[in-house]
Amino acid sequence: MNTDKHGWKRILLRHETILLFVLVVEWLLFYYFGTSMNRRGITVGFGTMDRQFDILRHSCEIGLLALALTPVILTGGIDLSIGSLLGLTAIVFGKLWHDAHLSIGMAAVCAVGVGALAGGLNATLITTLRIPALIVTLGTYSLFRGLAEAITHGSVTYTDFPASFLFLGQERWLGLPAQAWLFIVVAIATWLLVHRTTFGRSFRAIGFSPEGTRYAGISVERRLTMVYVLAGIVAALAAIIYTARLGQAKADAGTGYELFAITAVVLGGTSIFGGIGSVHGTLLGVAAIAVLKNGLACLPIVIRHNSAEELSGMMTGALLLLALCSSVLPKILSTWRSRRQSHLPQQTKIA
Amino acid sequence: MDKPILQLTDIRKSFLAVRALKGVSFDLTAGEVHALLGENGAGKSTLIKVITGAHQPDTGAIQVNGNIVEKLTPASAHKLGIAAIYQQPALFPDLSVAENIALSLEPPKTFRRIRWNARHDQARQLLDRVGAKIDPDAEVRSLSMPEQQLVEIAKALGTGARILIMDEPTASLTHTEVQLLLGVVRDLRTQGVGIIYISHRLEEIFQIADRVTVLRDGESVGTNPVSKINEASLIKLMVGREVASIYPPSETQPRDVVVSLKNLGCASSGVRGVSFDVRAGEIFGLAGLVGAGRTELARILFGITPADGGEISLNGKAIQIHSPREAVEHGIAYVPEDRRRHGVILEMSIAANMTMAIHPQFFPGAWLRFGKEEAFAQTYIRDLQIKAFGPEAPGGSLSGGNQQKVALARWLATKPKVLILDEPTQGVDVGAKSEIHKIIRRLAAQGLAVIMISSDLPEILGMSDRIGVMRGGTVTGILDGKTADPHSVMAAALGQTEGINA
Amino acid sequence: MKKYFREISVAIALGILLLVMAIVAPGFYQPQPLLSLLTREAPTIVIACGMALVIIARQIDISVGSQFAVCSVCAGLLAAKGWPLPIVFLSSVFFGVLMGAVNGWLVAGLKLPSIVVTLATMVTLRQGLNMARQGEFVNLPDTVQWFGLSQVGGQWLLVTASVALLVVMAFAMKLLSAGRFVYAVGTDAEASRLSGIRPQLVTFSTFAFIGALTGLAAMMNIAQSPQVQPLSGTGLELKVIAAVVVGGVAISGGRGNLWGVFAGLLLLACVSPALTHLHVEAYWEKAIQGGIILLAVVTDGLRTRKQKT
Repeated sequence: MNTDKHGWKRILLRHETILLFVLVVEWLLFYYFGTSMNRRGITVGFGTMDRQFDILRHSCEIGLLALALTPVILTGGIDLSIGSLLGLTAIVFGKLWHDAHLSIGMAAVCAVGVGALAGGLNATLITTLRIPALIVTLGTYSLFRGLAEAITHGSVTYTDFPASFLFLGQERWLGLPAQAWLFIVVAIATWLLVHRTTFGRSFRAIGFSPEGTRYAGISVERRLTMVYVLAGIVAALAAIIYTARLGQAKADAGTGYELFAITAVVLGGTSIFGGIGSVHGTLLGVAAIAVLKNGLACLPIVIRHNSAEELSGMMTGALLLLALCSSVLPKILSTWRSRRQSHLPQQTKIA
Repeated sequence: MDKPILQLTDIRKSFLAVRALKGVSFDLTAGEVHALLGENGAGKSTLIKVITGAHQPDTGAIQVNGNIVEKLTPASAHKLGIAAIYQQPALFPDLSVAENIALSLEPPKTFRRIRWNARHDQARQLLDRVGAKIDPDAEVRSLSMPEQQLVEIAKALGTGARILIMDEPTASLTHTEVQLLLGVVRDLRTQGVGIIYISHRLEEIFQIADRVTVLRDGESVGTNPVSKINEASLIKLMVGREVASIYPPSETQPRDVVVSLKNLGCASSGVRGVSFDVRAGEIFGLAGLVGAGRTELARILFGITPADGGEISLNGKAIQIHSPREAVEHGIAYVPEDRRRHGVILEMSIAANMTMAIHPQFFPGAWLRFGKEEAFAQTYIRDLQIKAFGPEAPGGSLSGGNQQKVALARWLATKPKVLILDEPTQGVDVGAKSEIHKIIRRLAAQGLAVIMISSDLPEILGMSDRIGVMRGGTVTGILDGKTADPHSVMAAALGQTEGINA
Repeated sequence: MKKYFREISVAIALGILLLVMAIVAPGFYQPQPLLSLLTREAPTIVIACGMALVIIARQIDISVGSQFAVCSVCAGLLAAKGWPLPIVFLSSVFFGVLMGAVNGWLVAGLKLPSIVVTLATMVTLRQGLNMARQGEFVNLPDTVQWFGLSQVGGQWLLVTASVALLVVMAFAMKLLSAGRFVYAVGTDAEASRLSGIRPQLVTFSTFAFIGALTGLAAMMNIAQSPQVQPLSGTGLELKVIAAVVVGGVAISGGRGNLWGVFAGLLLLACVSPALTHLHVEAYWEKAIQGGIILLAVVTDGLRTRKQKT
């Protein structure tokens, strides 16, 4: 077997490599078309450092949710409730600090605890009652958002957080936006969990074959519980930096984020059927979406029409469709090829 | 006798190198029950698939109603009035009985009014013909197994079947249910339907069949009227061959009892009152026909369907096993029958598959060590002579025998006390088969208690120190591996009490 | 009786709610607010019929909210241009079928998972619409509102039309072989293929059909107000799926009927006005709806677990 040749080809054709290439092209295009000089001769638009940091700052929350979703989708499950959970934990955090007068640290710990509990609720329903994850998290999607609205009576927002807390969301630390450090830590931790531990190994195994994993003596229920609880915890962390970035905690925080997070994960090459996928793929997916969104906002033609948000959303959806179609392309090609081959004489097949 | 409605002449069929049918001739007349008998793997299912058009024979002629059929497809078989009923009914569980029957009878036209009353009446009539008191409006899900069988028969009759194949229809039925079904078969016979009846229960064959054909190793070894043959001669026809001494000899004397079962049972999987001991260094063969409860017993021991009665003790201590994880912790390993679904994860590498059951011990702190894992996998690849491109090759890229060795390696890595092997050489080529036998023998010599489930009679006889024979969910006899012969094992598996020297 | 356990229990829950309202807050039963409530729900009823089909066929469509908005806006624009109402009506349905067919082709033709496909089309359609409209409302000519009838007359028309559609559909699912195909495909696609049904065609048709119904619902929507909001239909998909699931349609396909869906939809729709009349603050609405969905799936889960052992 000529491993070298095939190995190279395989690496080049890997989903992540292609995505990285797309990302670089995307970035260069925006750099070229989206950067300009203003009247005072200062560079503005996509090419500036400020803009790059902005991209990073704004992609942290969805990035965290996408990281949390990667192990979930690797096991063949899904969690629609994390956007709502972001809202709920943001409210819990704000209320505990504002009304119960807990310290910021304590409030954050409690919010993370609520996130873990909520993830545990999802996990319990999925593992003990064997209800599909899709439908369980659809229910908790409504429930968590509804609880957030109930706590705030639908209108209260918690504000006036101390500057030391807002630093986390609005300032830079060691040259990077402060929340980016949290994101980097979670990203590294998730990467290690998925790619370097036996847990990640078993998540994949469950995604490929839950029964086969069970026959290997691994407790599928425990692993699934772990995955959903972790997703809850990370959603709570995202809620905290969301609150710090905007300076307020409100019930509609993170509405629709789950869709962008799922898009990022699938775009990053994780199979919605489970088993296949990577954390770095997810990171590339998050980056591709973030760059697209911000880059479009810098294009003169888009600025004139004031439609960056919508255009990037639309492109994200289209990108997801494209990624999906490309994922089945090899399968379609191979069935097409085999159909053609069956018309050929038999001997070619055996050789 | 009448002119046959179905005549097969010199049917041959090979799958790659395996010759499944080596020139079988078979005929069936109207109003006859013709039983087909043979060990697992004797070629019965292949023959049936040829008759139903699922497989094309390599050579040989098929005649239906005296006309030669050039190419039999499932659709044309259907038109010729050939229908088959299997052990597991293939119905839509969420739909009603009447609807299930209608779906197979009516051509699928999209916009047509459904006349539920007509459907109901039609179903009622067909069910009456098989003497079933089933509400046509009941959901199939809510029916018992024999009721579902009857619906299948009604469905087949509705299509105007003149040739009805029944493949072990009674395997999951109780005694009274069997009698009911046999009554239906008799009625059908008087209505002029030709029935090919496959069953492992000899007493049924003597109750119902007119003629019996025995298949062995893909050949027909004789067709006889039932009135001119007895059970003993039937068993002789089924097994009649020498056990070749290609099996590695037993070398060790069995030592202490490792695992001991007392009256073990599990209602949901139909296993009851199983008692036996297995000693260290011993290979305990579990023989029996398909559906006798052997795999189910293994699944109880491995905690997949936990026991609800009786006792398992390990090294003299009573233990409870609720999940595979607990079984592994107790030192019980199970190499499952369906290796593509349960034995190995096809998409994952050989190395990952091998370390799967020993994550906590092999990777302290849950931290993967790829170098260590690869070296570990290499040793097993060498030891078990696994043919693969390397430890990183995915499990799905291996042949059946090598997949089985990977599954075996996974469980050897756990250093088990008890090793349960379920059909360890099924679908494995001859070379790999004898290698696997040597490995099993070596493991026993190292002091493992081995429980080996096998439907391959020579394998059971050649490998086992003792043989437990299962029938109807329980162990009906334990034979000594040295003195047992094919006849005594088959007799016990078929429920003939003479010849059991427990 | 046992067969319809699920539908009956939802109907009983609805009955109890209505009974409690009759005793505790008879003010709930004023004809005009009730009629308005049903009118508001009329488009949801129509879409729920389609969603029930899709879910019975073991798929899901979460893009209906976006399709709904696209159809509403397109129909509104055509109406504003002065096209005759019947043509507007047909084109709204046509747009719906078109979008449904795209989903159907991706799911049935390319064998992609419906949840992700419709997630993608949902985002694409919604954002594309927002980009095109920039949040601008469409002002409708007077002829469109209530289809030129009086308000009460229009309300009656919408309510009867939607309920009539549901009744016809419910019978069609039972009495037309096409309806039975949907059940067969949802139960076991492979077995139905062997019975001569074409599962891919059935799947494709259910998606095209829900598109058509969404177009119809969009017309029912724009008739209710003098303007079309480009944001209309946000979150509609979850509301519809919730009603279908609460009504006893199994998410694993093959089970359920439209009577249950109707009861489930009314149950969820009554929560909000009931809360108002019971002087519970309205912001509990979403949490209670979420609770009802979870309760429904948990009872389903418990029941199947009981059946297995």
